[in-house]
Amino acid sequence: MNPSRTKLTYSLLLIVGFLTVSPVVMLALGSFSEGLTAFGTFTVDKYVEAYTDPGLLEVMLNTIVFVLGSSILSTVLALFLAYLNTRTNIPFKGLFRVLSIVPMMIPHLLFSVTWALLLNPSNGMINVVAQNAFALENAPFNIYSLHGMILVEALLDLPVAYLIIAPAMASFDVALEESSRVFGAGTWRTLVRITLPVLRPAILAALILGIVRSLASFAVPQVLGMPGRVRVLATHLYEMIALGFATDYGKAAAVGMSVLATSVTLIVIYRALTAESEKYVTISGRGYRPTVIELKGARIPLFTVVALLSFVMVVLPVAVLLYTSFVPYTMVPSARAFSAMSFKHWIDVLQDPISLLALKNSLFLAVVGATLGVILSIFVAYAIVKVKSRASGILESLSYLSFSFPGIVIGIGFMWFFVYTPLYATIWALLIGYIATYLPYGIRPLASAFVQVHAHLEESSLVCGASPLTTMRRIIVPLLIPGIVSAWILMASMFVRELTLSVVLSRPGSEVLAVQILRFADDGLWGRLSALGIIMIFVSTMLVLLATFVGSRFRIGDDPGTQVAAPAVAAAKGAAQLA
Amino acid sequence: MEIRIQGVSKRYRSEGKTIIALDDVNLTIPANRIFTLLGPSGCGKTTLLRCIVGLEAPDTGEIRIGGQIVWSKEKNISVPPEKRGLGMVFQTYAIWPHMNVFDNVAYPLQIRNLPRDEIRQKVEKTLHFVKLEGFENRPATKLSGGQQQRVALARALIAEPKVILFDEPLSNLDAKLREETRKELKTFLGKLQITAVYVTHDRVEALALSDSIAVMRAGKIVETGTPQKIYFNADHQFVADFIGRANLVKAIVVAQENGHTMVDSGLGRLACQHRDFPVGADVTLCLRPEFIKIVRGEAAGAGNVVNGRVESLVFVGEAYEAEIRAGNELLLAKTHPDVPLKEGEPVSFSLDPEHCLLVAA
Repeated sequence: MNPSRTKLTYSLLLIVGFLTVSPVVMLALGSFSEGLTAFGTFTVDKYVEAYTDPGLLEVMLNTIVFVLGSSILSTVLALFLAYLNTRTNIPFKGLFRVLSIVPMMIPHLLFSVTWALLLNPSNGMINVVAQNAFALENAPFNIYSLHGMILVEALLDLPVAYLIIAPAMASFDVALEESSRVFGAGTWRTLVRITLPVLRPAILAALILGIVRSLASFAVPQVLGMPGRVRVLATHLYEMIALGFATDYGKAAAVGMSVLATSVTLIVIYRALTAESEKYVTISGRGYRPTVIELKGARIPLFTVVALLSFVMVVLPVAVLLYTSFVPYTMVPSARAFSAMSFKHWIDVLQDPISLLALKNSLFLAVVGATLGVILSIFVAYAIVKVKSRASGILESLSYLSFSFPGIVIGIGFMWFFVYTPLYATIWALLIGYIATYLPYGIRPLASAFVQVHAHLEESSLVCGASPLTTMRRIIVPLLIPGIVSAWILMASMFVRELTLSVVLSRPGSEVLAVQILRFADDGLWGRLSALGIIMIFVSTMLVLLATFVGSRFRIGDDPGTQVAAPAVAAAKGAAQLA
Repeated sequence: MEIRIQGVSKRYRSEGKTIIALDDVNLTIPANRIFTLLGPSGCGKTTLLRCIVGLEAPDTGEIRIGGQIVWSKEKNISVPPEKRGLGMVFQTYAIWPHMNVFDNVAYPLQIRNLPRDEIRQKVEKTLHFVKLEGFENRPATKLSGGQQQRVALARALIAEPKVILFDEPLSNLDAKLREETRKELKTFLGKLQITAVYVTHDRVEALALSDSIAVMRAGKIVETGTPQKIYFNADHQFVADFIGRANLVKAIVVAQENGHTMVDSGLGRLACQHRDFPVGADVTLCLRPEFIKIVRGEAAGAGNVVNGRVESLVFVGEAYEAEIRAGNELLLAKTHPDVPLKEGEPVSFSLDPEHCLLVAA
């Protein structure tokens, strides 16, 4: 093999290894230490302390119910939607595309806040309306509960589950079902004996990814769980390191170790399952048309359900935030509310030095972080796809490891690391943490871009007389542009909204948007929160548009319409499959 | 331009095993002819082509194109592909998806920094030549397979290379289009004074297109010759069997008489095409199905007449394929659909000695 390629692979192994392995190692070492400042003296005290905590049992039970409940609900909803879209004549199928991609643009934190504003028991808008309408004494809904958390988390995980199940459903050969019917099985029997078993790998993959995501979820338990004292592992960890007088990173690391172990195991299973589900793709021929089931009378009611779901997931959050940012305090929409509207919260936020600093920091992290992350990803993707060696195989596994990192746990690991470096409490700590945790978001779209650049495309340019450098400039880079744009969009929009890692690593001076929003939520400053939330959505939308525009400038001689939209859509899809 | 390949070998290591892709290949490809490398997949034909074009480096040997050494292990010469000035059509066509037809075809000239007007003229001329005039502004990936293939050809021809290489260019087309494109390609190449090296595993393609054919197996050239020589007069059993359907019958040489070689076989004593085998040598008799001319009923008489019985009969459209039991041998024969035959019927056929091919066993 080419020696310069080997050198490249090894130096990448070193960088990626540092980024992904060091927080894990530090977490493990930290869990056996006395505390952040007393690193190195071996002790198992923290494990004993953490796992004999009488409160832990309840936290564990809550976590299990929350994680299983939300992942099962999101998988079932996704199955239902995927079936409606691929197999029935439901109208306006474009809506499913919206439903599967657009919700990912809305940060989990803001989505959770929206539900708190609508359904909290003291002055949630829907609760107030219902109480007035039916003269109820108590609020009918309480989102500050395990049920509420499960519902909201399930809605957040729904797009991802849908994007895993829908393609499997679409590539399902209907002849398998038809032959079952011919041999005498009824519709129900066919569904249970044929359809679901064939789709099993995809369903399990969606379920497991749902479990990993909800296990790592921090926004929902923090915003919706804490007011009702429903604690799960993520918020339990956060309490140990952020609240009270005595923060205990050692104990947090001890608990974090088992969360991390669970998560890594699940991701290993997930990757095995997705490999399996590729085997289950049952059609490959051309001219294939799935038979469409006539919904008849159920067509409109079912469509209403989907439309309502889209409204709840896409329109409602933004509308609620906008509304809340203009009214002086939480009130039900009415003539009085509209006449009381003002820009007060917007002015407050724009004059708040910490909010402005957070905005500046988040923008910096998004632009610089995504750019550095993409550059690293280009080299890693190249090594993974084009340099096939044992070292590049290890590199691939390493670079996907951070997939399974629950932000808060890995944040604790990084904390142990940064405390011994001058990076502690600086924005660079966040930058490194972000890139390490979200590396797969950059590598995935770039790896598939490299796969598409068939060796022949490169070779034919050489045979035509172009030097390797010209080939790089005129053939390879232009072909990679959509992948680069997708990767940049993915990383930048993740960085703008990043919460779970930031709550651990951010210190006074290195605040970011999501942390500041969470602080407003803790203080009940819903108006300012909404204004800053809208700014956050606006910033991330602008970055997406900018990246798409820059990307389209590089492309020549192609149909502009589809090309411009393609990277953004690809990015959103990539996000789904990854996150 | 003539291409001379001397002592070229190439090994790969794959999953811990060493694969010999080329094993001391010596070959001269004559100038301005269509030369085909034919062989089963994995025989090394594509590797040889990629060594000629410079995309792969052999382990040993020397390659000259028109007198210039482009690769030599001993002299430590290695001309990179972009400096060899060749044209190539890839199996996947390698049409660049981010460019339109014009840019794809103009690329080699743009690389050579030709003036824009001249590029435009030449592209127009070349597209006209491959019958794609008016396609300049189409996105190249929106074309049909056959059209993409012609874009790839136009791109390979536009810089007027002295040698053009084809790596299984028709294998991605469906059967009907493949036949049409093959005829077109033959016409295109016939009009040009150009050395064409063509790699394929399809024997019909090789026979129809080539001026000469080199049959390869396991990294070696087995035999080289005109299509007629390869088909009718192959020296090797592998070649005779690979190039067309053949009945292979074991035989022993008994005499050399009247310009024929006489053999004893399961079909009796037969006069065959003359070959220099010693008396008593074990040989293989090779009979093509289309030369076994069947008539109904037994026939007597001397001189290559064989009696047999119809064992099975299959209608394949333009002919019947009959399996004839003659002695211990089961022979495949093609008969005209007009000849009325029934299974189990006694038949006879006579064999023209010129079509009784003997190869080493």
